[in-house]
Amino acid sequence: MNALVALCHFCELHGPRTLFCTEAVHPPSPSPPQPGPAIPGDRDREADREGEGLTMRANSSATQGADMCEGCRSLPASHPGFVSVDGETGIRYLSHQHPRQPQLFSVVRQACVRSLSCEVCPGREGPIFFGDEQHGFVFSHTFFIKDSLARGFQRWYSIVVVAMDRIYLINSWPFLLRHLRLTIQSLQNTALKVFDSEQCVCPQRAVRMNSAFSPAVFPHQRSGNAARSLTSLTQHPNLWASLHSSFSWLLKACGSRLTEKLLEGAPTEDTLVLIERQTEQEEEMSGWDGAEGGVSNPQPSQSESVQAKDFQFDDGRQEDILGPKFKSLRHLRQVLGASDFRQLAWHVLMGNQVIWRGADPGLIQSAFNVLKALLPVGCVRAVPYSPHYEEAYRCNFLGLSPDVPIPAHVSSSGPTLLNKMEVALSNENLSVEVVSLCLLCLKEEWMNKVKVLFKFSKVDGRGKEDTQKVLALLGATGPGEEDNVRLLKFWMTGLSKLYKSHLMTAVRVGERTLSQ
Amino acid sequence: VKHIRMISEGSRDTEDGSNDIRLIVYQDCERRGRQVLFDSKAIHKLDTSEPYTRPAPDVTMLGEMMFGSVSMSYKGSTLKIHHIRSPPQLMVSKVFSTRFGSSTSESTNTLQDSFESMSQTFPSHTSSIGCNDSVFPAHSNPVDMPSRGHSEDGDSGIARSASLSSLLATPLPSPGSSFSSGLSSSYQRRLLRSQATSLQHGPVPRWNTEEMFSLSDESCSSNPVMIQRKKIAISIIISLPEREEENHNFQEFFFSHFPLFESHMNKLKTAIERAMIVCRRIAESSQRVQVYLCRVMEALGEFRMTVWNLYMAPRISEPVWLSMISQSTERNLLCQRFLKEMSLLMEHGAKSQFLSALLTAVLTHHLAWVSTVMPSSMPPIKSACQKPASQTADLLAKSHPYNPLWAQLGDLYGALGSPVRVCRTVVVGRRRELVQRVLYVLSYFIRCSDLQEHVQPQEQMDNPASPCTSQTTDPTPEKPDPLKPTACVIGTSEKALNSDLGNAIPGTSVEQSHEILLTDTKSTSPSPSVESTAVRSEFTEMAQECFGEDSDSVGGGLEHILASQSPLLHRVQFHIGSPSETANDGQAGGLTGAGCGRGLDRKLHQRLLSDIRRNESSDSALGDSDDEETSAQELYVATEQNEYELPLPRQVQTNVNHFGRSLLGGYCPQYMPDFALHGISSDLRLKQCLMADLEHTVLHPALDEPVAEALCIVADTDRLSVQVVTSQKRVCEGGRLGRDVMVSNLVHTLITSVLQLYALNIASDFCVMHLEDRLQEVYFKSRSLAEYLRGQTRVPVKELGLALGIESSDIPLLAAVASTHSPYVAQILL
Repeated sequence: MNALVALCHFCELHGPRTLFCTEAVHPPSPSPPQPGPAIPGDRDREADREGEGLTMRANSSATQGADMCEGCRSLPASHPGFVSVDGETGIRYLSHQHPRQPQLFSVVRQACVRSLSCEVCPGREGPIFFGDEQHGFVFSHTFFIKDSLARGFQRWYSIVVVAMDRIYLINSWPFLLRHLRLTIQSLQNTALKVFDSEQCVCPQRAVRMNSAFSPAVFPHQRSGNAARSLTSLTQHPNLWASLHSSFSWLLKACGSRLTEKLLEGAPTEDTLVLIERQTEQEEEMSGWDGAEGGVSNPQPSQSESVQAKDFQFDDGRQEDILGPKFKSLRHLRQVLGASDFRQLAWHVLMGNQVIWRGADPGLIQSAFNVLKALLPVGCVRAVPYSPHYEEAYRCNFLGLSPDVPIPAHVSSSGPTLLNKMEVALSNENLSVEVVSLCLLCLKEEWMNKVKVLFKFSKVDGRGKEDTQKVLALLGATGPGEEDNVRLLKFWMTGLSKLYKSHLMTAVRVGERTLSQ
Repeated sequence: VKHIRMISEGSRDTEDGSNDIRLIVYQDCERRGRQVLFDSKAIHKLDTSEPYTRPAPDVTMLGEMMFGSVSMSYKGSTLKIHHIRSPPQLMVSKVFSTRFGSSTSESTNTLQDSFESMSQTFPSHTSSIGCNDSVFPAHSNPVDMPSRGHSEDGDSGIARSASLSSLLATPLPSPGSSFSSGLSSSYQRRLLRSQATSLQHGPVPRWNTEEMFSLSDESCSSNPVMIQRKKIAISIIISLPEREEENHNFQEFFFSHFPLFESHMNKLKTAIERAMIVCRRIAESSQRVQVYLCRVMEALGEFRMTVWNLYMAPRISEPVWLSMISQSTERNLLCQRFLKEMSLLMEHGAKSQFLSALLTAVLTHHLAWVSTVMPSSMPPIKSACQKPASQTADLLAKSHPYNPLWAQLGDLYGALGSPVRVCRTVVVGRRRELVQRVLYVLSYFIRCSDLQEHVQPQEQMDNPASPCTSQTTDPTPEKPDPLKPTACVIGTSEKALNSDLGNAIPGTSVEQSHEILLTDTKSTSPSPSVESTAVRSEFTEMAQECFGEDSDSVGGGLEHILASQSPLLHRVQFHIGSPSETANDGQAGGLTGAGCGRGLDRKLHQRLLSDIRRNESSDSALGDSDDEETSAQELYVATEQNEYELPLPRQVQTNVNHFGRSLLGGYCPQYMPDFALHGISSDLRLKQCLMADLEHTVLHPALDEPVAEALCIVADTDRLSVQVVTSQKRVCEGGRLGRDVMVSNLVHTLITSVLQLYALNIASDFCVMHLEDRLQEVYFKSRSLAEYLRGQTRVPVKELGLALGIESSDIPLLAAVASTHSPYVAQILL
């Protein structure tokens, strides 16, 4: 939690003092924190000093040592303090007598004084929340600790939790109260045992009744023990280490008390297919490593080299290609001319094999790079540049050098999607980024239709009549219907395995529950 | 007088005359001391000539608690919460500095004088009288709280901070970065919240710090004069149920819903301000007091009713979205019921496109759905239909803690766009079943994160909160080597942690102390958390029972229900006031008796105060602090070598009563201002209150951040109309509340095709997946729109249609969605 915890004490000699403070130091933010507004404040401070300046100066002449006694101290000055590290988040919990972050020093001091000198708690032991935007917000719990040598046989302490997030701190009231009570009861009970044993040995009431009473020197009379440390009151040599653990745990537990389950959208089919391909490739690679004992990397077979090329066939590679290249779909369209481009795009969308012949492999690859944006990732199977012809079932994008012969069997209107794509491409007012986002929209829209058609025809196996209804509700009927259906069927081949298998299992589970 | 009686009946005076919730207005004046300006407990018999009786005997003590034993010179407002043990009460106080118009200074004195003139019935009751036996004078000099970066500008009100320009300047990362990183605005909001409330920057005055108590009827621009030494405290005292379990339930509710309580308290404060201003104009003194009391009682009645409703109103027992994400096993059944209800609704309002209009409005304004359709880059862990949980958000919560309850409230109100708008939806209709169907369907589209609570082990021995138990360790090495780097991972070395405790505490038997501690816990600790969470859901069920469909009492309205002695009333009734004065006096006596800690003389106190100030002015004033300025960053790195490292104790989950469960209301007897969604039978009270509520929301948002506009979607199932009411436009044609909603074609085709698939007997689970896919399309379209608008100043709507194929009916929806990931969109399309 974005807060700190401090143990404070009302010293009979020195008033309210901060004894022990545990703060959380966070690792650097994911993005640079906003610098808060400038904090001048000097003018205000000057104004606040007026009238009470004399008192202040008189007091500041007192040495530090004189302002401290055993009761005001937790760790000796030489003690380096304690730290606990949350390995998962990198948050460090630090404990010292005073906070190490200078901006928190006065905040804690303020909280300490208010909790023990200003705020009124009925019964003097219990929880209070107080604070304002300027000084931060404080959950304070005051309590007594038994001390056989103290006036009234007890000393007054408080534990304060300081935070800037008012609402969070108030929301946490029941939690903080529950757990601080445990901390306090544990301290009180331990001290009570010490108190009882001390009273057995030397009943203080009798001692005090018999000694002469002198109000002026009363607190100093027993100066040897006048202000005993909490360690002495509890006879707990590792008290501060334990308190550090308790306070650190409290900060962590309060911050993680409530957890949010925040959902994101399902990944797109493109993302899924890419992940699947990557996994397949990794599996195959590790298969090789296993077989060969990881010693040598044999020459990959041809099918793998195709696949490997498939992977290189990706964004960012284009910069590496020297010579002329296509920069965008629009560029390609400008070069080819509108009607040729449309022809080309039509075949791409329909899943027909596109063979690009040329002497410059870089140029061909750049053309494929821009064209593949028209299709779902799962529909793209490319061999950017091959020394011989590859069959259409192996690839729908094929680059060939001019001298490679094409088998005879290969040599042989548009869908709604194409028309919409053309509108975006032909509009010179749209930037390349906008066009690619428009393409994304169109592709996702049609991919969602593909999913429905897949579910309907392949999974549920519905008849022709029903299928026609679905096509109508998907907006795939009407002019270009035949092409639309062709496109949808081709795109079905691009669905991720995960998606397809999920739908299949869902049906099987459904059948099983029905038959039972 | 008549008026007061009517309200007090409405607010259900209990048999002994005390009320559930008590209001005290207190003044702390430098010259005149402390004075009670209002105490609802002291208002006795309203039909007599003496409306005001003697103040309750506990007011002096309460005054001390409100103002503190030493008054502060801080000029902003201060918030305090006290827990009073006997009788069990919670007291929430806000202390304000006063502000007067230049022409009307010292205006409360008029009222005060009026009270004093009625000395028989209302004796002046200053704390200095009541505190004679106190060792500590109530009026020592104020503690000077140093102002850090605090502007003295008196007229910096809410108006300025909520202005649109400041909202648009919200430090969001540049649109470019959010575009490429694909981070949702819900993530951004959470990150920014964590940073804004970080301790690492120290106190940074925020947007609403300078709230004052205004005693001027002139506008703030009239150069107000501040009287620094006069403060007014407004306290609400809620009597807690005597039974431990009820007490626990109410407190859990109160503290988790505090922002809502506070917002209503602010409303009450505004009403009190107005009452004081208005009554000043009345010359005749007894009449002046009457008017004042009347107005304040009216406001208090309102407050009591709102709080009561907030706690008691029926809730949607199974909100679709939250149930789907929390119980994946029930998913198929949930999908079936959801689609069935939605298709029934679609048929019902087919002609008027009621459902399409309503969903257009809801998707445009309750924007939390957007981040739930933004495509994840992570593969799903379980099955393709399950949306992945956001891992970035999860990591953020761990490393940069923010308040999940706050985040959830923002989600429900749809505060994810830019500028920040908050929205509620009210469904009006006489046909209960129909309204409930609408509510049920909407509970799928009005989304928020699900919250879970991690419960700690309750036994003291195992609880890491106790320092003197088995958690205790002695990790301090005998010869500490501070330079030795340590790399301890939390939780992995728990056993190593519990090192030889027995040896660590010489002379005492560990076992023995454990026994003592353990028995103590049993006798005093509150009921275990696990049990308490069960109790909460039980309460919900009880509420359902009380207000549920089969309850005959519902028709009679709230008052009727309250009058009937349902079992629920016994469970949650919280009596107000202190029925046993003796107990209270005992407390006060105990205080002075044990007041040794406070028994310091004034001189010492003065010294302490100057100590504080000295420490403020120079950070090195106390010996143990480092002299050099260490930045948090340096500190983070520096700690590797110095401190003794101790491992963190481990944390040992349940559903918690959160806003997602509490602010999705059912068919309620009366309009309520807090609910993200609820249904009512008549819009009578809605029409009376809505505009004022929306304005109040903008001025005092429960969200604790500036809000540019508050909206309310009002769906009328009788007339099949959907209107959006805004805090910005007051006048509407023909006396109508708001403007009609234009149906988005995208939304209409979306619902139509989902329901057609459902009609074709496609598995409902698949239909819901398709619905999510279609919502994702809306998100992608908003991305195109945002990209198109980037860098532009103004774009004609027609152009959007031509360029992007976006229909004009879809533009408000797409622009709102776009503003969640690309804040600049709002400026262009404004």
